[in-house]
Amino acid sequence: MIDDDRISAEAQDSPKQEGAGRAVRRGVIALGGGAALFVLVSMAFDLGWLRDRGEPVKNREAPQAMHTFFPPGEQAIPDGPAGDAIKRGQAIFMNTRMNAKDFVGNHLSCSNCHLDGGRKADSAPMWAAWVSYPAYRKKNKQINTMEDRIKGCFTYSMNAQNSPTGGAPPAGHDVYKDLQTYMHWLATGAPTGKKMLGAGYPELDKPAGGYDPARGKLVYDAKCAVCHGSDGQGQRDLNGRLVFPPLWGPDSYNWGAGMARVNTAAGFIKANMPLGQGNSLTDQQAWDAAAFIDSQERPRDPRQKGSIADNAKANHGGDSYYGKVVGGRQLGAGTK
Amino acid sequence: MNRILPLGVIALGILAFATLMLVIGPAIQIKSMAPTPGLANYSAQELRGREQYVAQGCVYCHSQQPRSADQAPDAERGWGRAAVASDYVYDRPHQLGTMRTGPDLFNVGTRLPSRDWHLTHLYQPRAIFAWSIMPGYPYLFERKSRAGPGDVVVSLPAEHRPAEGVIVAKPAALDLVAYLQGLDHTNPAPARAVRDDGYSERGEPR
Amino acid sequence: MKTQLSGPPSPSETFEPYETMRPIPLGVLMIAVALALWGVVLLFDNSEAVAIGQAERADVLADQPARSDADGASLFSARCATCHQPNGSGVSGAVPPLAGSPFLAGRAEVPIAILLRGIDGPIRVRDTVYDGHMPSFASVLSDEEIARLVSYLRERFADRPAPVAAEMVTALRGELAGGSGWKGGQELAARLAPELAPQPSFALASRAEADPATMRLVNEGTNGSWACASCHGALGQGSETVPRLAGLPAGYIARQLESYLNGSRRNESMAVVARSLTRQERVALGDYYALLRAPSNARPSLGGDIARGERLVLEGVWDRGIPPCVSCHGPSAFGVAPGFPGLAAQHPAYTASQLAAWVSGERDNAQQKLMNGIARSLDDADRRAVADYLATLPPVPVAATKERADDRR
Repeated sequence: MIDDDRISAEAQDSPKQEGAGRAVRRGVIALGGGAALFVLVSMAFDLGWLRDRGEPVKNREAPQAMHTFFPPGEQAIPDGPAGDAIKRGQAIFMNTRMNAKDFVGNHLSCSNCHLDGGRKADSAPMWAAWVSYPAYRKKNKQINTMEDRIKGCFTYSMNAQNSPTGGAPPAGHDVYKDLQTYMHWLATGAPTGKKMLGAGYPELDKPAGGYDPARGKLVYDAKCAVCHGSDGQGQRDLNGRLVFPPLWGPDSYNWGAGMARVNTAAGFIKANMPLGQGNSLTDQQAWDAAAFIDSQERPRDPRQKGSIADNAKANHGGDSYYGKVVGGRQLGAGTK
Repeated sequence: MNRILPLGVIALGILAFATLMLVIGPAIQIKSMAPTPGLANYSAQELRGREQYVAQGCVYCHSQQPRSADQAPDAERGWGRAAVASDYVYDRPHQLGTMRTGPDLFNVGTRLPSRDWHLTHLYQPRAIFAWSIMPGYPYLFERKSRAGPGDVVVSLPAEHRPAEGVIVAKPAALDLVAYLQGLDHTNPAPARAVRDDGYSERGEPR
Repeated sequence: MKTQLSGPPSPSETFEPYETMRPIPLGVLMIAVALALWGVVLLFDNSEAVAIGQAERADVLADQPARSDADGASLFSARCATCHQPNGSGVSGAVPPLAGSPFLAGRAEVPIAILLRGIDGPIRVRDTVYDGHMPSFASVLSDEEIARLVSYLRERFADRPAPVAAEMVTALRGELAGGSGWKGGQELAARLAPELAPQPSFALASRAEADPATMRLVNEGTNGSWACASCHGALGQGSETVPRLAGLPAGYIARQLESYLNGSRRNESMAVVARSLTRQERVALGDYYALLRAPSNARPSLGGDIARGERLVLEGVWDRGIPPCVSCHGPSAFGVAPGFPGLAAQHPAYTASQLAAWVSGERDNAQQKLMNGIARSLDDADRRAVADYLATLPPVPVAATKERADDRR
């Protein structure tokens, strides 16, 4: 207190009350200023002026196409008889050879080409297929219902001729009912009759220089053989269960399948292969790999009545190697 | 200097307050704490090794306190789950450490269980990690013309082997390695264990 | 006083120098106030964080008993359905059906014994022979869980509603302890259920013990490096960041050792080991570990969300470009020799650290860089979830000797 007295005595410019007033003023300014400073700095932090706050790099790519349709997840399967049918349909879809074993003549399942249980956009998703049928198909020149379409899958992609019953499920079979119930459920909320983004496989423009199985072999060896094997016969786990599907030969799709056309296979490959690296191949690579795969022998076309040449003319225009001579052999004779 | 008395009183007060909050309070909080289930006390050899750990000053570069996933990716580095207070009941004094010039060692016994690896690494860290800045501890080893019975020979890549003879570990090195091998705090911690939750945020997937 | 200050300097004898009291600058006061405010906010923030952390751990804990309390149906869908299918149909030519299986219909000891030891040989189920490799669940399911599971299986697939007591499992576990997988249906039938005969005969392929030189590498090391077993354990089961090797494809193990040499997989300790091995030794070690059968000693330890991990492993997240792990690493994550290692029962710290290493580039030896992109699409919580889920799976059963030749290439 001595010092204070001395200062005020020396300064002699203000009475004690004024000093107290100044202290209060100083206190108010300090508090207000401090609060303002705090607010300012925290704002600066939040707005990121001061430093990067170490937010993890957003490495999640935006969903591949924001505008495509999102089918329901597995946990949304309802209870009751409808839910049971959906589950049966799903079981057939994922493990066709077991759950529709009377009608499957190779080692493929629906889910081999329709990825993520028929959900994935650009791998011919079922939610888009469901709202596109009935429709006219050039393949058989008539209106196809969804059942007709699935029958086509069994006939060609699953090579039903080689199955225990020797053919696709007969009309009205439970396999169709269950599969359609599953597809209908996947399409919950999808607009009917509207071409949906992500439907089917993408259509790739044919490269200017065409495609070439020899170049395709190089792509295949570099990008595909790791999983599908250098002989294209896929790979099995230690129980003999197929993990990677065979791409040609007796256990694969037959000459009548859509995937046996180079353009279809190229679209599928471009968008989906190698698994987890979709759209990493160039269009040229996708076409070449597809050409290599589809210029290998596979089960015969069930539509073939007369010679291969006749059937080639009737059913195989465009980008198919059916009936063509590759490596000194005419393709289309089938495997056994 | 003026007004020594009030200055002294205030200083002592602050010190007393700090001691109360930082020493006495926590001590009461953890005094009766049981060890984490599954945590074993040190063996006699491990305790001798622990003395080596202290004497060699390992604590200056190595911490013994893995952080939680919210704070640092220690679990993914393989350094183990976040430490809780009851992990340290047998550590007097604890070797928490504040520097991470080297990796955290709280669970080094599970991620590097090999005695021989540790011996090589202590003798010459650069025999394994060419870029390592850890000092070697050659004085914990000795060179012998041939290994006697019971001697533990250190495996060394050719370029670090002595021209002749072998390097064998002295007891101090074996003790230290036994201590390191015993550092294992990977048993699950009880949910209510006292621990640091510094940066947990709501809704953050864990 | 006035005269003293204004007059010429004539210092007084009694003058004491002093400083006038200068007020603390306003700026400093403001900063002090701001810091105090910050401290208060931090205190609240921290107490909230502690509460959240404790609540989350309590949640995790509350989930765990739920998992071990799981009823037979959920045990079936979590543990059996990936191979035997949700409807118990099995997989043609690979996995025998449960529905109508005589192995379930007979004595309850039979399915319990199969779960406890797994199967390593051919069995005949409903007139079809399966060359079976089933994992042992002894290290991942408790006696109570096995009892609940077997009760459920027998009721659903064999119409035997009588529940099985956990004591039976406990007794059988003691009796069968230490055995490796059943050598096919033949051994099972001979030991427990003669009515299941005839079962396919199983010529015990002479599982050649690795040659003495390889065993020296495993147990004693070489002059220049350490014994494999000193880190990876006597059974190759590993711990924390030391991977489990038992049951990994032989070709995969040899390829990793090469990667340490050429730097595409960075691990200085393993590089020292790899440098001390010849090519033949690398191949021999791969062959040795591929045939080891070790119980799982992995357990979830990273606090990951196991349900989320299960989704990532079995279904993937396709719109983030993440295919399910099992689409390449095989159903049940047993691996596909020689390229794709088994992931089941791997230590979570190892799995998560490898996923992080793909991102950082410490590891860059994936075929076609398949793992690089996938790992980048996983965030930290995903990595921990996947790693923790994989640790709950039963270990890979041992492949028959015929695969050995395939792997060797």
